[in-house]
Parts: sequence; structure tokens; C-alpha cells
Amino acid sequence: MGNIIETKILSKSFHDPVEFQALKNINVSIKQGEFASIVGSSGSGKSTLLYVLSTLDTDYTGHIFFDGDDLSLKSKNDLAAIRNEKIGFVFQFHYLLTEFTVLENVCLPALKRAKYSEAEIRERAYQKLELLGLADQALKKANKLSGGQQQRVAIARALINEPKIIFGDEPTGNLDSKNSQNVFEIFKELKEKFNQSIVVVTHDQHFAERTDRIITLSDGEVISQ
Amino acid sequence: MFKKSPVIKIALTHLLAKKRQTIVAMLGVTFGIAIFIFQAGLMSGFQAYFIDETVNTTANIRIYNEAEKNRKSILAKLYADENKWVVVQNQKPKDELTKIKNGYQIIAALEKDPRVLGVSPFLGSQAIFKVGIAQIAGRVSGVDIIKENVLFDVSKNMRQGDITKLQTIPNGIILGDGLAELLGAKMNDNISITSPLGVTLEMKIVGINHSGLTEVDKSRAYINIRNAQKLLKVDGSYITDINIKLKDFNQAEALAKFYHQKFGFKTVDWKEANASVFSVFKIQNMVTYLIIVSILIVSGFGIFNILMMIIYEKMPDIAILKAIGYKDSDIKKIFLAESLIIGMLGGLLGLVIGFVLQKIVGSIKMDIKGFVSMEYLRFNSSIGFYIFAYFFGLLATTIAGYIPARKAAKMDAIDIIRSK
Ligand SMILES: Nc1ncnc2c1ncn2[C@@H]1O[C@H](COP(=O)(O)OP(=O)(O)OP(=O)(O)O)[C@@H](O)[C@H]1O
Ligand SMILES: [Mg+2]
Repeated sequence: MGNIIETKILSKSFHDPVEFQALKNINVSIKQGEFASIVGSSGSGKSTLLYVLSTLDTDYTGHIFFDGDDLSLKSKNDLAAIRNEKIGFVFQFHYLLTEFTVLENVCLPALKRAKYSEAEIRERAYQKLELLGLADQALKKANKLSGGQQQRVAIARALINEPKIIFGDEPTGNLDSKNSQNVFEIFKELKEKFNQSIVVVTHDQHFAERTDRIITLSDGEVISQ
Repeated sequence: MFKKSPVIKIALTHLLAKKRQTIVAMLGVTFGIAIFIFQAGLMSGFQAYFIDETVNTTANIRIYNEAEKNRKSILAKLYADENKWVVVQNQKPKDELTKIKNGYQIIAALEKDPRVLGVSPFLGSQAIFKVGIAQIAGRVSGVDIIKENVLFDVSKNMRQGDITKLQTIPNGIILGDGLAELLGAKMNDNISITSPLGVTLEMKIVGINHSGLTEVDKSRAYINIRNAQKLLKVDGSYITDINIKLKDFNQAEALAKFYHQKFGFKTVDWKEANASVFSVFKIQNMVTYLIIVSILIVSGFGIFNILMMIIYEKMPDIAILKAIGYKDSDIKKIFLAESLIIGMLGGLLGLVIGFVLQKIVGSIKMDIKGFVSMEYLRFNSSIGFYIFAYFFGLLATTIAGYIPARKAAKMDAIDIIRSK
């Protein structure tokens, strides 16, 4: 099984307000179909690592190979296209477009990609919502849903373009244990059914323990993986 | 649900979430464009009317003899040596110099010119008009009314009476309607006119004339050129001006030069004669364009404002769109679309309002007696103004939208996500 993502001596520093090295010589790799969690104390650099890995943050040194390509050689627009086609995001705060319906939110990445017709995209969006038990909410405005429902909508949106990898930054941070369990099951199913890679930052020890692999960060360094 | 790209849908959603501010921004554009359509149509309609009237009341070419102002004194001519100083105090211009010598021969020659439609001799004078105790200073135009009619279509503008009476009745006079009104004079009334030389003639009103140029109608009377010669105590060959009407008035400038060379007198064509008016028009037009520019700048600020507001409010949207693969240029498009929507709708409404305003104001009877007199305001509602106004409006809104749009496109998704 190949690596979907691999870093070589990846480092990142913030310069403002003071020089601060948030990531130090990180060498990690995530296999296709692997469900990994990133843990570590607050401020250890988990989010920072996730943003760098997910191509949103390009201010780093070292190399990140994504699906075989060196990301440092890609233009901003190339990276946007990679995010659109190969990466799904789920954040702690769900970040839906509040004035759009659930269905429209889920469609957004696919409409950008424009690989399928609008009707097909809608059909696929329904399928994803179905998978997450939200088909009956499709035509509601996003902000009319509960927090847990919105988080599942965000996951459905992350899935719409069938990405190779899904990143989550504390995707269960705002959920109760039942919903949290639910999200875990969904991720597990995605990995098993669709061979998608999942990388999740979490403070939830119970959640982390059940993933394939735990990457532990401390002060910007990987201390175990 | 969605159009081809969600960009428009997102833009519309943003605007609909801010209905009131959007409408205010839109009305700014509407206002600017409506005012421009109204103003430009009014100015250009008025100018076209005015040009029409002046072309009809100004000779295509006028030949005249100008009094030499800095005439060399005889002494100076005698002592032409540059090293000598000759000072003559209180030198006066000779008055007989404005006479066109051999005027009638020149007229005869011009009448044979195939490019010429009509030639009319002219002798004008200041005069005091008196009817009873009413007294008004004005001007008399001594003309050959039949020839004058070929040039200026005097008969068309007659309110009362008949131009031929000026020939058949030896002491006939045709008054401008404004002048008649000021004097309280009516048809067939007697009127006395006194020249600056003290000559008084008793005349009889045989016509009332309305040229449409208010100033002229308030001060001018036509009399037979022989009576004008009597007023000025000059002989029967004395004329000061020769007015010419051409078959093609666009040749006026060239032919004016030609006649100047041929006859040696000063010539002026109608455009040059009205140069000051045309320069007023230029300023009017500039003011009109300044108005639209300044209103659109103000509405541009309105658009800028609302977009900045939306952008700060919708920062999470921007972050998520970027995270799910929307390019910076897509983000820019969203906000540019918002300003364009404001500009297009506001502009369209402005065009309609401007058009309606023109129609309404144009149908109100005004009876304006200003520079020119007209019953209704005339608007030039040529499509060119609409196109110009619309595209200029769009340009202004695009520029106003571009700065916020670029700002939104440059926002860092991570900064936004972290700050939540
Ligand atoms: N924009 C920034 N400028 C300066 N320092 C930053 C910036 N973002 C993060 N840091 C610093 O980098 C370090 C790592 O931050 P990061 O957000 O990755 O921590 P984390 O492991 O995700 O913590 P948490 O569990 O609280 O989310 C922290 O010390 C933080 O203060
Ligand atoms: Mg974090």
C-alpha cells in the first residue's frame, strides 16, 4: 500500500510576534486507507501540522509529498485543485455556509470541480447525506440543524468529491460521546468501504486509541508514531 | 437551485442577507445614472435647439468692415522711421470706415456665385423706440426684407402682419414680439425711432416678429434699409454688412476665407460668430459629466462599504470555500459579482428613471423665455447617452468592487479558521 502523504524534515516557524518553531523536523507518512490520529498537549503543534499537511499552509521548510507529488513545487491554484479533488476537511466548528441549504452545502466542492452534471452532483450529495443519516434534512437551511447534525453535514461535504484523504481538526470536539462515537463509526466505514485515509487531531483519548495509529506531538516534535 | 457556478448564487445570497444596505448602494448608482440621463438629455436637447435657432438667425457668412482701432496716425505714416517717436493724443476712430465700399457691386458678384443661395445687405443702428411715453433703447436692422427673408425665413416667424408691407409701406417697421410687448405697441400703431445722430423717423408697425432668441426679440426691429440710411444720414449706397446664405452651410468656414481674400473685407462664418456660445456649451457638457462622475464616485464608496461589511461578516465562508478548493480568483469573482449585480440593477433602474423623468418633464408646458424661448423642454434621448451612462456606471461599480474583492481573495484561510 502506497503513501498518500509523506513528509521529509518538515519544519515550520512563526515569526510574529516572536520567532517560534512550531514544527521541528517532522518525518511522518500516512498510507492510503490508514486511519491515524494526532494527539499531544495543547500548543504542541497539532493544528499547525494538519494545516501544513492539508496544503492550506505553504509557509514551511522541508518537503511534503502528496500522492507522489512534491507540494512545494505546486502553485497556489494547483494546491486549490488538489484540495478540491483529493482532500476533505472537517473542522471542530462546522463551517457551513449558513444561508444555504444542507444539500447546497454538500454540493459546493463538487460544483467547483464540475466533473459531473448538476443533476448527478445532487444525486451524489443525497447519497452522502443518506450515508450520514441526514437525507431528510437536505432542504433545510444549514443553520437550522443541531450542532451534531451540522458536523455530519460537514463530513458529507468532505466526502462529496470522494477524496483520497480526509483531515479533521478536533471534528468531535463539540460533540457529546454518542455523536462522537457516531462520527468515529463513519470514519471507520469510509476507510473500510472506500479505502480513504483519515487523519484526525483529537484530545479524546478513547477516540485516538481506536484508530489504526497514533502520532504524538510534543513541542513541535513527533515523539511517537 | 444553482446556476452553472455557485459564484453567482453565493453573491446573491450575500446581498439578500443585507437587503437594506444593498438597496441603498444600488440607489446610489440609480441616482447617478438617472441624473446623468436627464441632465445630458436636457443639455444636449437644448444645445441642438439652440444651434438650430442660431443657424437660422446667424448668416452663414457675414462680410463687414471693422473700424480700425489702432489706426496709424497720419504723422506716424509720414515719419515711418522706427527710431522716431510719434505721439498723437486722443486719436479717434473714423466712423465712416465701417462702410463697405462698393457694397452693391459685391452683392451682385456674390449673387452670381453658384455656391450662394442668397445675399442680403444690412445697415444697423442703435435707436430709441418711442410709443406714447414708453421709451426703449434697441437696434434697428435696415434690410431688404425680401432678400433677408431668403436668408432667415423671416416670414415664418411673423406673429402678425406681413413682411412685404415693409416694401410697400414706406415707413413700415416690424418689431420683435418682446420689444412690442415692452412698448405696449400693437399692429398699425405709430412709433417713432430716434438714431444716435438725433434723426427721428415716424414709423408705422406693419408686423410683429418672433425669432425665438429672447434677447433679439426684445430689442430688434426691421426697417427698410433706405430708412436706416436716413437715420444715419448716409447716402443710398452705404451698407455696413453683407449677409450670405450658402447652399451648404458646412462650407462657411472655407468660403469666408475665400471672400475675405477676394473682396478685402472682414468675413466671419456662423461657427466663429457663435464661438462664445459653443464654449459655454463645452463648459455645460463638462459640468454634466462632472456630475455623473461625482455621483458615481459617491455611490462607489457605498458599494465599497457594503462589500467590506459583507467580507468581514462572511470570513468563515471565505475560509471554507478556500479549504474546499475554491481558488483565490473564484473568491474574487464572488465579490466582483456582488458589485456588478448592484451596478447592473441600480444602473438599469437609473436608465428607466432617467427616461421617465425626461418624458414627464418634457411633457410639462414651460413657456421658457431665457436664452431661447420654447414651450416645452426638448430632450435628446439618443441611445448613446444610455449606453455611455450604463457602461460608465458599471465601470465605477467594478472599480469600487475590485478593491474589497481582491482583499477577500488574499485573506488567509488559516488565520480565519484559527480565530474562530
Ligand atoms: N499564527 C500564529 N502565530 C504565532 N504563533 C502561532 C500561530 N499559530 C500557532 N502558533 C503557535 O504554535 C504553537 C502550535 O499551535 P497549534 O495551534 O498547532 O497547537 P495545537 O496543538 O493545535 O493546540 P490545541 O490543542 O490547543 O489546538 C502554539 O504554541 C501556538 O501558540
Ligand atoms: Mg489545535
